[in-house]
This record gives sequence, structure tokens and C-alpha cells, in this order.
Amino acid sequence: MYPDIIMKHFLNPKNVGKIENPTLLGEFETPSKAKAIFYFKIEDGIIKEIKFQIVGCPYAIAVCSIITELATSEKVENFKEFSKKELEKFFEIPAEKEECINLSINAFLNGISKYKPI
Amino acid sequence: MKLIYLDNAATTKVDERIIQKMFPFFTEKYANPATKWTSSLSKEVDFYVEQARADVAHLIGAEPEEIFFTSGGTESDNTALKGIAMANQERGNEIISTKIEHEAVLKPLSTLERMGFVVKFVNVDKYGFVDPDEVKKLISKKTLIISIMHANNEIGTIEPIKEIGKISKENEIYFHTDAVQTVGHIRINVKEMNIDLLSLSAHKFYGPKGVGAIYIRKGTKIKPFMEGGGQENGIRSGSLNTTGIVGLGEAAKIAEKEMDSDDARIKDMRNLLWKKIEGSIPKVFLNGPQMGERLSGNLNFLIEGIRNEPLLVLLNERGIIAGGGSACSAGSKEPSHVLKTIGIRPEDYFSSIRITIGKFNSKDEIDPIVNNLIDCVKKLRELSPFWKGGE
Repeated sequence: MYPDIIMKHFLNPKNVGKIENPTLLGEFETPSKAKAIFYFKIEDGIIKEIKFQIVGCPYAIAVCSIITELATSEKVENFKEFSKKELEKFFEIPAEKEECINLSINAFLNGISKYKPI
Repeated sequence: MKLIYLDNAATTKVDERIIQKMFPFFTEKYANPATKWTSSLSKEVDFYVEQARADVAHLIGAEPEEIFFTSGGTESDNTALKGIAMANQERGNEIISTKIEHEAVLKPLSTLERMGFVVKFVNVDKYGFVDPDEVKKLISKKTLIISIMHANNEIGTIEPIKEIGKISKENEIYFHTDAVQTVGHIRINVKEMNIDLLSLSAHKFYGPKGVGAIYIRKGTKIKPFMEGGGQENGIRSGSLNTTGIVGLGEAAKIAEKEMDSDDARIKDMRNLLWKKIEGSIPKVFLNGPQMGERLSGNLNFLIEGIRNEPLLVLLNERGIIAGGGSACSAGSKEPSHVLKTIGIRPEDYFSSIRITIGKFNSKDEIDPIVNNLIDCVKKLRELSPFWKGGE
């Protein structure tokens, strides 16, 4: 039904929940009320911690989890251009699930775009 | 892992007794009944086809010659609507229906609209019920056909088709009902209910897929939808699906004998299941009518704070197969037209699941269903930014 990596992250998503007093938030909501929120803790341009909350389909949930694994301990600036291409290295994206995946990517990028280095 | 199948409104498991009846028609009694005057094997097959026709007729209170075999509900609906419309254009060009019909009715109706027919939709209330008086108000001299389903496939609303049939008869309007969800489950009598055309499908009541029938009242003027060799009295051309037809006939025979006790048992299981779900999961709400007024096996409910698709996938991982009114999509995909029509809030379109119990379910499945549902809902609510702990 779903690629193994999607199923793995969907069944056991990593970095779920909120961060108290996050450095910044990334959010995205679709017209049909699917919503993803990323909480970032950033120090010296490095994503120290990232967590998420979501109401969305299995793909969207899994992609949030995958993104948090990719981003943890990485530089914010490395993700300015993040797109589905980075995800296509891990699994194929079916056309009908593209919007679900965009929910997670857009919420993540919304957070990244707010980051202003001091 | 033992499978718990809870999507009986989508399709049912075939009754073993039906399969046994079908077997000989693959390799022994395989002749084409069309050549019954020249081949004894064909004549034998024809005998069983006619027996099946009589069994289906008996189940709905029709005459055997009023039953025409088709490939299923979709073909029967298309035949009824397009067939009546094409054959009776001098009688009028208006059709009355509802917005909660199955797509097999709605799509042909929009085709007919494009051809110049006018479709008037009668409103349904928040439970999905049609008010027969509202149907009456939409009738004009040009009304040709009224098509209203017997029971809704998503929320289980059982429509007052006897009253609507009476109104149709008084106004000399053809009355078609899509009864795929009810035939073989609850008692129907086309004569008492004044039904002129009725669609039914074998796989919704433990028969095989790919076979169904349309009942057409004697004397009805109708054009065939499938043209060709003139089988089924010219109403439905194509060599008969004899194995399927024998299966449908056996399904009808079994249903005739067993549906009342099956229905009572299914209703008990459904009621107990809902009681337990409602008692153990906060913020769940029934969609559609109250328990006494819906199909016995049907549950459709909204679960606040989550989406149906991940829930169905999680349940599937645990061997529980349920259904969703419509698949969850983050994007612009159309939500369930039924939930939309009965006034469910847009943010809730994708938060509902449908559980439909069938005769092969058993009471000992209820606790595993409830426990897994509790667990899966909890898991998804923990992810949800909308879930505030049930306040």
C-alpha cells in the first residue's frame, strides 16, 4: 500500500509533539483543514531540536517525521531550498499524494523562511 | 492475524453455499442458454437461469418476467435512468432525485441534464431523510421519473420509499429506487411500495461481484442501454453471466429465508459496538440517523481532532478493515457528497469513518475492534494540533 519508509515513519513517527518556547514556528493549513506545525529550537544557525504536530494523511505524517530526522543538528541555511526532490531520494511520490506531502514541506519551509541570523 | 472485516456496505464475503451452487456452471453446465432450442445442455442451463430469475423476483415481490440480469447496481441504475428518459421523451423532461444518491445515479443524471433533461433535487434533512411532501412540491406536468435510493450507502438512512411510491403512482410518474444496500437485508415488495424500477446487486448480500438485476414493472416503456444480441427480452444484450446469475439466485434464496434473523443479530452487534465506542472514546459523534432509523449494520461517525485515512491505515495494520466516507486528502479533493449534503462542517468532512457489520461478523470481534480503535485514535490525537484533550 505504502513504501516501507513511509509506513515505518507513519507507524512510529519521530520527534512528535511541541517544544516549549521554540525559537520559531512553521505552520501550514490546507483549505480542507489538514494542518502541520513544526517547532524549531535553533542555536547559532543550527537546528538543535525540531518537533511537529499534524492532522493529515499517512504520507504527510511520515514526511514530517523524515524531515525532522534530516534537519536535526543541521544548519538552517542548508534547508532554505528544501523541496520534494530531497524526499524523492528516499521514495517515489505518487501524483495523488503530492498535495499531502506539500503540506509537510510547506509547514517546514514556513518556519525556515522566518529564521533571521542575529 | 485474524481479519476483522467491517466494510460490508462496500462488498461482502461470498457465502460458501453460494459458491458451491456456482461451481458446476464453470466446467459442467457451461453452455449458452441462448441456444436452448437446439442443445439439451443449454436447455439445462436455461432452467437454472430461470430458477434464479424466479428466486430474485420472489425476494422483492415481482414477477419473474420483470427481472432482467445485469452486471450489477451501476448498470441497473444507468439502464433505469437513461432507458426511461430515452423512451419517454414525449411524456416530460423533468427528473426528481436527491443529492445523496450513489454516483451510479448522479453521473447518469448529469449526462441527462447535458442532453436537455432538468433534474430537480429534493432536499434531505440533517439525517439524510427525504420528506415525501417535498417530493410532491417538485412534481410538475413534465415530471417523467423520480429516482430516490432505498437506503444510503454511507450513513444508512432508510428513505420513505413506500410513501414516495404512492405519490409517484398518483401522479403517473415512473419511480426508480436504487436498492443495492437493502435487497437481501430488509423486506421489500415492489408491488406494495409502488416501485416501477429497482436496482440490485448480488455482492452486497453475500453473492458474487459482477452480477445484479433490474426490476422493470410490466408495461414500462424503456429503451435498452446495452444493445446487441437481444438477450433478456432485448432489455440487456450480452451472453448471460450464468455462473453469476446462479450465484445471485442462490443469494436471493438464502436471504429470503435468513435475512430477518441475520438482520436482528447484525443490529444487536452494531448497537453494542456503538455503545462501547461512544462510552470509551471522547468526542465521537454519529453522522446520519439515530440507531433505529438506519440500516442495521451501518455506523458512520465523526472522530474529533483526527483524519480518517491514517486511522483506516492504522486499523488495517491491525487486521481491521473499515471504510471512510471519503479518503482524506490534504488538498482540494472532493469530500463525501453525502456528508456535505447533510450539513457536516467542512473541517469535519475527512474525520469520519464508516463501519458496516455483516452476517459473518461475530460478537467476539467487538472488544478487539473497540480496543484497537481506542488505541489508534489516541495515537493520532497525540499527533494532532487540533486535539485539546477533549475539552
